Amino acid sequence: MNQPVSTPLVESLLEAPLAPSGIAWLDAARQENLAAFAASGLPDTHVEAWKYTALRMLGQRRFVALDMAAPASTVDAASLALPGVDGPRLVFVNGMFRAELSQVGNLPEGLTLQPLSQALAGDAEPLRFSLSRHYREPGDAFARINAARARDGVVLRVAAHVEITRPVHLVFIAAATEMDLAWHARNVIELGEGARLNLVEQHLASGEPTQLATLVSEIEVREGARLQLTVLQNAATSTHLIRHSGLRLQAQAQATLHVLELGGALVRHDLKVELIGDGAQLLTRGVFMPHGRQHIDTQLAIRHQALDTTSDSSWRGVANDRGRGVFRGAIMVAPGADGSDANLSNKNLLLSPSAEIDTKPELEIYADEVKAAHGATVGQLDERSLFYLRSRGIPLAEARALLTAAFCRAVLADLPNEALREHLSTLLVEQLPNT
Amino acid sequence: MNSMINESSSATTLRDNADVAKVLGRTYSAGFITDIEMTGLPPGLDEGTVRAISAIKGEPEWMTEWRLQAFHHWLTMPQPDWAKVKLDPIDYQAISYYAAPKAKPKSLDEVDPALLETYEKLGVPLHERAALAGVAVDAVFDSVSVGTTFRKQLAEAGVLFCSMSEAIREYPEIVRKYLGSVVPGGDNFFAALNSAVFSDGSFVFIPKGVRCPMELSTYFRINAQNTGQFERTLIVAEEGAHVSYLEGCTAPKRDENQLHAAVVELVALEGAQIKYSTVQNWYPGDENGVGGIYNFVTKRGDCRGDDSKICWTQVETGSAITWKYPSVVLRGDRAVGEFYSVALTHHFQQADTGTKMIHLGKHTKSKIVSKGISAGRSSNSYRGLVKMEKSAEGARNYTQCDSLLIGKKCGAHTFPYMEVKNPTAIVEHEATTSKISDDQMFYCRARGIGEEDAVSMIVDGFCKQVFRELPMEFAVEAKKLLEVSLEGAVG
Repeated sequence: MNQPVSTPLVESLLEAPLAPSGIAWLDAARQENLAAFAASGLPDTHVEAWKYTALRMLGQRRFVALDMAAPASTVDAASLALPGVDGPRLVFVNGMFRAELSQVGNLPEGLTLQPLSQALAGDAEPLRFSLSRHYREPGDAFARINAARARDGVVLRVAAHVEITRPVHLVFIAAATEMDLAWHARNVIELGEGARLNLVEQHLASGEPTQLATLVSEIEVREGARLQLTVLQNAATSTHLIRHSGLRLQAQAQATLHVLELGGALVRHDLKVELIGDGAQLLTRGVFMPHGRQHIDTQLAIRHQALDTTSDSSWRGVANDRGRGVFRGAIMVAPGADGSDANLSNKNLLLSPSAEIDTKPELEIYADEVKAAHGATVGQLDERSLFYLRSRGIPLAEARALLTAAFCRAVLADLPNEALREHLSTLLVEQLPNT
Repeated sequence: MNSMINESSSATTLRDNADVAKVLGRTYSAGFITDIEMTGLPPGLDEGTVRAISAIKGEPEWMTEWRLQAFHHWLTMPQPDWAKVKLDPIDYQAISYYAAPKAKPKSLDEVDPALLETYEKLGVPLHERAALAGVAVDAVFDSVSVGTTFRKQLAEAGVLFCSMSEAIREYPEIVRKYLGSVVPGGDNFFAALNSAVFSDGSFVFIPKGVRCPMELSTYFRINAQNTGQFERTLIVAEEGAHVSYLEGCTAPKRDENQLHAAVVELVALEGAQIKYSTVQNWYPGDENGVGGIYNFVTKRGDCRGDDSKICWTQVETGSAITWKYPSVVLRGDRAVGEFYSVALTHHFQQADTGTKMIHLGKHTKSKIVSKGISAGRSSNSYRGLVKMEKSAEGARNYTQCDSLLIGKKCGAHTFPYMEVKNPTAIVEHEATTSKISDDQMFYCRARGIGEEDAVSMIVDGFCKQVFRELPMEFAVEAKKLLEVSLEGAVG
């Protein structure tokens, strides 16, 4: 039905030849993914997953591959520190590992943390399963090009029954270059049985780079392991950032996600969580705040595939100026996944007449011993709450700011890292308009 | 808890017993075939078919042109595939697009007795029974409207209620003004097909300030083999007019799938109110999923004037596949749109149904209450859109979708779309999915209520919010239909 349209973007991404890696299976997988990307092109808005995110404008842009661009500007390592995040740090600038900015000395026992480029130079075999993946969904174009082009990223493993106490910090910096750049990074993360890890993923900018960045993360949480993942996306408002995260939770595994989507021009995050083991538990909290002309699209898909799995998701959106927020929260309960308990809520505030929110909570239920509910709202601040504050002498603008801040902060309530929580909370408030 | 487990295992043993299974098996009481002589067009669809239908109806030139335009548009369209239903490809050339009883009735008394008997079995209050029930009926038998009752009383009030073909002949200026103004000829694949080949349907016109003295009703029934039914209904309520319209549907049992692609257009001018209620009981196919009606319907209302109101109420228990989204375009300021739905699927039935509320006017309001019940191996989806355009200052929507699962092999899905472009608009959506709780069942069983009765009681309670919106005689029928449809679902 849809003939792939070859746009300048597709052409520019296909332009550079694939450099051989010296690993036969990897080169084959990269070639196949590249061919699949060439064949499919970009999804148009007839593809359900891209209904509210049109790639027409982006498709007209050209981005050069990393190795064709000039080296990036310098980055100050001190500016990377986050309160409450004092563990090992891996830093990538324009998708390439930068040792001088990273801290990977004295890793705790049981933690493997290295850039993908190094991991591939050593024994690549353990990565074979993750890196040989093919992305088959009609909307997976960017995952395909990432699979073909990503040269670097994070390889992180926690051995069974090891608890990593200090948070591990992953930093992706987009640094301004002379030409508009496209870069791709790929993360492979695995928590062994009963392992515990606190992980912080951060996206930020140095200068005002006009870039297209893709990031594919595969995260496996084995039996009884616990993952605490916090994502702070604070990219430049000229950077297009497209992320694809796959999370698999085995029996009794627990994952807690906090996602703050603050920056970026066109931002898209496909977050797929599979609860494949009995008793797996997922908690997600997120906030997206498009302002200016930002377009932030989150596609959360949770699949309950085993007995007694639970998921609880709460996402908030605040759209201002000409910003557009898109949210899809799909819960699927597979046949036989009895005892599943799924809850999802998405609340949104529209602050400007030119802003837009498109939300689509979905339930797809194939088992009967389940509890599943979702709710979504779009509106403004509660008039009565405003009245309450004003009647106590708080000016309207301040009352609004207070309530909006409280609305966003709610998603951070479950974040145990207090210092980090405070910092993120401040960032959220800074992002809010001074109404 | 333990008693529950015992209960369900004993029900399983019961069901293994062939005699009991027969009793429990679902019966489709409307599945008889009326044997009367039919005339019609041979199967196939081309420009000639469209012209032939138009010629049989004695339509004016503009109508033929309108049909042809829709037909040519249809040829360029692919059949949509986004709904969550599985179906074999439809061969549009294998369908006969026109069938009518041979002897054309001149009045109700001349109507073929076999036909009237059909209606009698269905319990349609036609003829004298109509007077008792106080319902004016425009019964559509396959493609031709066989008789319209209560014409005189309605005419006194100034209400026009007749078949579509009659309306095209007698009130061409009204038809021409409104036909296709809500659902254009090329609106979607099935609407375009309908626009090209529609054979009949109902036409209602309520003039300014008139409150329709009685509830209007149409009974659709697909009878002949290999025929599709493509009726087209147009209801226009002028300024301040009120009307309540009832629609019921049945079809005989057949092994092949039959296509039903109808279009319903509602126009409400300033201060007008239209209430449209449907009980859809097309043949759903047997318990193995063989046969049944493909019910692909486009229903849309246009609240054109300020302070107008359109309310859709539907009870969907039939059809192998249901694919319909009665919508309201809230154009006038302070217009109100409502949608109440109960959709029940059993065995291999598939339903993808919901609504669209498009808010354009200021302070427009919409309310959606949808109850889905799935049993057997069926699939039941709610799909809805609430759209607040930039101009929809202070608009408000509230949506509630609940799904009830009966059995392990069915699916219940919810796909609500919300698009908001106005910061003063408020949209709320809530959905839940659950099964009949063990507590509820235990409570009923402990008080000596049989398992099936208990289920039907609980389901009835689950649907109450919607049944309350139905006209009284429909509410009774709907309740009965649910009971029949759920037979054999428990265990």
